[in-house]
Amino acid sequence: MMSATFTTNAMSIDSNYAHPEALVSTSWVSEHLKDESIRIIESNEDVLLYDMGHLPGAIHIDWQRDLQDHTIRDYIQPEAFAALCSKNGITPDTTCIFYGDKSNWWSCYALWVFRLFGHDKVKIMDGGRDKWIAEGRPLTRELPHFPATTYPAPLVRRDAEIRAFYDDALAQSCSKLPLIDVRSPGEFNGQVTHMPEYPQEGVLRGGHIPGAHSVPWKQAVNADATFKSAADLLKIYQSDLGLKPDDEIVAYCRIGERSSHTWFVLNYLLGFKNVRNYDGSWTEWGNRVGAPIEKSL
Amino acid sequence: MSYPLKLSAIIELFSGLSDAEKRETLISYADQARLQEPKESEQFDLEDVRKDEECTDTVAVFLRLDERGGAHFRVTLGPQVQTLTRAMSSILCKGLDGITPEEVLAIPADFVPKIVGAELVRLRSQTVYYLLTRMKGVAKVWLQRQRQASLGMEVLDKDDAACE
Repeated sequence: MMSATFTTNAMSIDSNYAHPEALVSTSWVSEHLKDESIRIIESNEDVLLYDMGHLPGAIHIDWQRDLQDHTIRDYIQPEAFAALCSKNGITPDTTCIFYGDKSNWWSCYALWVFRLFGHDKVKIMDGGRDKWIAEGRPLTRELPHFPATTYPAPLVRRDAEIRAFYDDALAQSCSKLPLIDVRSPGEFNGQVTHMPEYPQEGVLRGGHIPGAHSVPWKQAVNADATFKSAADLLKIYQSDLGLKPDDEIVAYCRIGERSSHTWFVLNYLLGFKNVRNYDGSWTEWGNRVGAPIEKSL
Repeated sequence: MSYPLKLSAIIELFSGLSDAEKRETLISYADQARLQEPKESEQFDLEDVRKDEECTDTVAVFLRLDERGGAHFRVTLGPQVQTLTRAMSSILCKGLDGITPEEVLAIPADFVPKIVGAELVRLRSQTVYYLLTRMKGVAKVWLQRQRQASLGMEVLDKDDAACE
């Protein structure tokens, strides 16, 4: 059995990140496709993309089918999470390496959900699916099969640590604590209620949470979908925006996937300690009766 | 309203499939999407190339009318276009082949969930309707141009602006 030492990764991941070990490069993954101590997990927006071809040995975790409760707007319960891990051959000691489309939006989202359940051995493949393909690396349609494991159901879901709810976001707004709106400028201003190039998905009003700062998620990535350097990220979030590593920060977008990306950047790459993702985001806030809204048209 | 024969056959094919089989069949159609791109020698009566708010990458729709007035569509899709949209481009190019622009406009969209299946009709999958809307838009513009030509008019309306 090979062990995941992550040493060959050092050349291509910025060592100045607070937690460079939270990222692995495509070349590192390429060399560890058969490493039994890791599980490679693809999470996408495109519901059929995994079926069209995926990294050899990668399993598929779908943000909606696998991670969300279908009877209440919430995530699955600990027992369901344990069952999901078990059927995919994941143990509490397995290092889960996430990658996907859209500059890793949904892989960051899946990673964040794994963290909700206390699975802390998690990493992102920098550049995601697009970079893997751009480098001419192989894809397969062969479905991997792993022996089921015994994954103990987590005792609790750690919502309080890394997840914000409506009341938390409201308190953040009223207290003038940092709220980061990572949507596109048009969504923040209230000109549109959806991302450019996307259909309207049922938000009644446009705008942002009062006091929120607009820092689109995209500022944190390069053209090849990799994360920007530590120096660039520090300039964006610390020098320009004025955030401090100990600040209590809430990030939001529309349904929580883009803000998962920013949560990953702030938490892992910059080492900010108190960052929460408001996954209810604008689809909750923008529709909620009585929720105050700011526009900057 | 009944569907065109070729589209009916595709709907019939999907109606007997489980969700898993529908998924596999959609992937097969998505694989064939490149076959629906314009061929080098083909000439078209209307071309509509754009990236707009309903899709994540550029989609080009080409329309050719044969001597009997039958419509033949070709489609090119940018690399970021979702797999379901790729599958729908194959399905629609085949299913609508040879019907008139008027018939294209009259097709109800209610067949889409029958093809895609309940599992895949959800948030962020609504682009499955996108290509039908684009094809109808092209058919509508072509009909408007025909009507204007028959009246000796040169007026272009809003829908016309996107087509060249």
